[in-house]
Amino acid sequence: MSKKNKIYWFEGVTEKGVRALLNEEHSNFTWLRSQRNRRCLVLIQLLGLALVALASYFPSIRTNLNLSAQTELAIYVVTAIFVVIAVFGSYSLLRIAVRGIADAPEELLDERQVLVRNSSFRYAYFYMGYLVIGLLLLMFFGPELTLFEPTGNDGSFLLIATLMAFASAPSMILAWRERDI
Amino acid sequence: MADLFSLTSDMAAISVSENYVVLMLCSMYATDMSRNSEDPVFNQIEAARTSMGLSRQELADLVGVHYQTIGYLERGEYSPSLVLALRISRALKQEVSELFSLTPRSEGK
Repeated sequence: MSKKNKIYWFEGVTEKGVRALLNEEHSNFTWLRSQRNRRCLVLIQLLGLALVALASYFPSIRTNLNLSAQTELAIYVVTAIFVVIAVFGSYSLLRIAVRGIADAPEELLDERQVLVRNSSFRYAYFYMGYLVIGLLLLMFFGPELTLFEPTGNDGSFLLIATLMAFASAPSMILAWRERDI
Repeated sequence: MADLFSLTSDMAAISVSENYVVLMLCSMYATDMSRNSEDPVFNQIEAARTSMGLSRQELADLVGVHYQTIGYLERGEYSPSLVLALRISRALKQEVSELFSLTPRSEGK
């Protein structure tokens, strides 16, 4: 390994970072690598993303449920805390759990890892296609959404959830499918 | 007429949504990451490696792959490329044809 820490701008990773994740065996996070725990992480991540997306419809939900101001605030704060932990925390842990294979450049992986990485991107592409179809259906037949509007249903949360789903889909698929990482 | 149009579009939406869910579920497990799942390659890597007293990590270092990949190879869950097969046979000091075969051997996978 060269002493210089090469930066892979396209993937947004560094050589030392990738190598450390790929060869890490005795860190505090090795318990994450069992398939069961990886799948739990994926489910937490999906739940977090669904809640972020649902935040777009919070004004409609609030109106329909007739909640008191305090209950509304409590729900909002608890959900927001959970969402931040679920989305950003589980995304970080997910990357550790799959050894960062989904974001690693080809030259730092072996041939099986390259195959697995490419395969997960292929399926992520399909699933994101389904997601986009789902979003289109939601936009056509669901409640009305506006972007960056303080009143009414703010579609920016849905947009953020979609972008996060795009970013984390390959890692989620890898975490779900692979027996040993 | 407008009601009929609305009902038809609602039914179309439900039908599209159902197809959408079915498509997602069908594709979820219809995949295989093996190089050639329909024509497996059997190997004697584990036997040759243990007879040489090598650990998976040591063999992985010799052939330049991750140790998990050696595990996948030994279990027959991944078929190596020709280059990797040649590297493994060189590291284990055996011919490729001795290590890999298209039919199972008595003690191999």
